[in-house]
Amino acid sequence: MVIQILGTGCPKCKALEANARQAIEAGGIEATIEKVTEIDRIMDMGVMMTPALAIDGVVKSAGKLLNKDQILAYVKEGK
Amino acid sequence: MGCTCSCGGDCTVNLLYACSGAANTGLLADQVARTLASDGKGSMTCLAAVGADLSGFLASARSADKNVVIDGCKVACGAKIFTEKGLPFEHYITTDFGVLKGQTPITAEVIETVALQIGRMM
Repeated sequence: MVIQILGTGCPKCKALEANARQAIEAGGIEATIEKVTEIDRIMDMGVMMTPALAIDGVVKSAGKLLNKDQILAYVKEGK
Repeated sequence: MGCTCSCGGDCTVNLLYACSGAANTGLLADQVARTLASDGKGSMTCLAAVGADLSGFLASARSADKNVVIDGCKVACGAKIFTEKGLPFEHYITTDFGVLKGQTPITAEVIETVALQIGRMM
């Protein structure tokens, strides 16, 4: 599983990444976290507001700072 | 891409969608959306991508403060797409502004007039 954090490097993007790391650790999930910071790639994925979170290429959330539990729910849904 | 990062500040994200259909009214919807975007009323994004269930576009539409759908005519394809997806939206139809489908030439003046009216109503 690949979890993508989409954002250009703002504090909320960094917080989302930290929450994602906590989520996979708490859930015992084997996943890779990839940061997508290039605006062209973000736009190509249809994301109009950041931070955004995608799992295996599917955008689950845009413009929200999800907490650990919310991310874990998306991760379990995507398994 | 206008105000997109929700990292702080008072940032309102309005997303603009135009039907961009084949008729003169579809052309007008497209041009009005572009005018509104260049006037800073919102960011234009792709209606077809929402219809095609592309996840990033759906997630963006779910999170936007306002989705403004501009249809060319009363067939209202844009509104039907948003309704089908269960997405909230504000709706405008260019023929409600005195434009006749298949008849009215889409001039710069017509585009400006309709954009001004919709911009005031948004």
